[in-house]
Amino acid sequence: MPKTITDQNLRLLIDALVAEGKRVVGPRAAGTMTLYAPLAKGEELNLGELPRRSAKETFFPLCETILTYERDKEGVRVTDVDPGTIPGTVLVAARPCDVAAAPVLDSVFSWDFKDEFFLERRRKTTIIGLACTRADDACFCTAVGLSPNDTKGSDLFLTPLTDGGYRCDAITEKGEALLATHASLFAEGDGTPAPLAEPSLGKLDLDRIKAWLDTHFEDPLWGEIAERCAGCGACAFLCPACHCFDIVDEGGETKGTRRKSWDACGFGKFTNHASGHNPRDVQPQRYRNRIMHKFKYYVDKFDQRLCTGCGRCIRACPVGIDIAEILSAIGTRDQEPGTGKD
Amino acid sequence: MTNTAQTIDPALYAAVTDAIRAEAKKVLEAGAAAAVVGWQAGRRQGTAMPAIITDPAKVAELIFSPACVNNLALYLSKAKKEIRARGRIAIVVKGCDLKALVGLMGENQLKREDLHVIGVVCAGVQRAGAAKDIPLSEETIAGKCRECTVHTPEGADVTVGTLPDLPHFTPVESEELSRLEAMTPAQRWSFWKEHFARCIRCYACRQVCPFCYCEQCLCDRNRPQAVETTPRPAGNMAWHIVRAMHLAGRCAGCAECERVCPMDIPLNLLNRKMAKELKELYGHEAGFEVKEKGPLAQYREDDDQSFIK
Repeated sequence: MPKTITDQNLRLLIDALVAEGKRVVGPRAAGTMTLYAPLAKGEELNLGELPRRSAKETFFPLCETILTYERDKEGVRVTDVDPGTIPGTVLVAARPCDVAAAPVLDSVFSWDFKDEFFLERRRKTTIIGLACTRADDACFCTAVGLSPNDTKGSDLFLTPLTDGGYRCDAITEKGEALLATHASLFAEGDGTPAPLAEPSLGKLDLDRIKAWLDTHFEDPLWGEIAERCAGCGACAFLCPACHCFDIVDEGGETKGTRRKSWDACGFGKFTNHASGHNPRDVQPQRYRNRIMHKFKYYVDKFDQRLCTGCGRCIRACPVGIDIAEILSAIGTRDQEPGTGKD
Repeated sequence: MTNTAQTIDPALYAAVTDAIRAEAKKVLEAGAAAAVVGWQAGRRQGTAMPAIITDPAKVAELIFSPACVNNLALYLSKAKKEIRARGRIAIVVKGCDLKALVGLMGENQLKREDLHVIGVVCAGVQRAGAAKDIPLSEETIAGKCRECTVHTPEGADVTVGTLPDLPHFTPVESEELSRLEAMTPAQRWSFWKEHFARCIRCYACRQVCPFCYCEQCLCDRNRPQAVETTPRPAGNMAWHIVRAMHLAGRCAGCAECERVCPMDIPLNLLNRKMAKELKELYGHEAGFEVKEKGPLAQYREDDDQSFIK
């Protein structure tokens, strides 16, 4: 039997979770934009627009400390950051295009090397997804096989109702547990779901796109796109699925901090080797990597794609590069292997 | 004569579009340019993006509209050397973009004779996030266009378009600068600290700037590190101060840095303040004449040295 929650009770739920000592993260007004940010109280929840940055930072912060070091006459002391100190978190009212990226990222962060920071945050987080009722012309979740009410990655899922409030569906045990612990805020029942968002881009043939990518590592297309690309990291940093990071030691000889922070394959120095050699020394190679990683390499390795169609890269690109348009074009291209020549 | 309407007549943009296409066709067919750098429509209605056209049959892709926000001088900087390697380039510029070209020539990055400059008369472009595809108005016009003094570019090979009467727009940039100047140093420091704290170090500001063409940016150095690269307050502040100082006397005010910032940091406000200081101190304004060096990049015996105690 589904349950419902009023908008007021959703805010009370946030208050209750905060009172329990949980870190509650949700869309919050932040100056000229909305961001996923810690909420001090339910009133701060702002559902007016899609947050400018994705929800990935709930698990994969923009910057985090891994260890600190000190050196004196006694020697060097290294102090690891204990992932056990990561607080229990509830991510509330996250859009399906953001939430769907979380299980996709699990694959890479738990493959080979286990990224304990990412995985501990995932373990300790309950995700309350929210169906999407408004799309703009950059949204294309339906084109990459998701939908505005996709529950992938959510523990509890909210569907806006025409009369206000939300229907709540528990998707996982974590979601069931949240419903059970705060039962008084939910009511038994159903309701009429509000009309869902309708992204305008038609469904992409992702298998056909993959087949073309399989045989077109060398193709003039990469040069055509990259000629325009400015080589910044806006697309990658706003993307819910881009997950590359850099590790740097910052500080001095006597003390310092090792930090992990977001990186982007569009940057010129991204693949620069210590030797000075750079295997991707021109922008076409970098832009190719962006598309290949999302729609070929990750598919080969994990049978998943690193794109949920949120459209943030399209909205943010300083020079108007439109990944949905590129994918549409690739989907209609001749499947004959490329010659590697213009 | 003042415009009593509250919006800008879109006829200018349509006329300029036609003229750009005709000029592009002419120079490509005559072999006077190997490529035309202009703007073309994006997939989404009411958007535009940079275009590099080499085939005369494709000149109809070129457009001019209030969505043509990009400063195309970027595509002639050292950061985009593959474009210049094609040969003589025709470039479409608004008045504000032309100032960047002039600056690049002054820095020996470009030679005038290697360019065919198609100047477009511009009544304004839209601000970031504005509703698309409607006539420009107080709500949708970019801040920099409200107080524009270069609607008609000077010194282009050909200039197309006739400026219509323009409505009066609130000078939001001047007002913003006045507010900044009215602050105490402590207030100003906290104003910038708060804005720079939001920086995610995506370097969109650097990458779209025609003057950020260093092949090795100081802020990418790690052996040794000059500026912390992680997006934290100290490194962010250092990065933005480095940026402001390196652009002082060079920045021609296209405001691309501010337009592209995904975190809405008012970067051009800092550039404008620096430009104002340089005008007051040295009578220098960037982008109007080809000068080899700006005031912060040269030493003269008659420089004021009274600050040395």
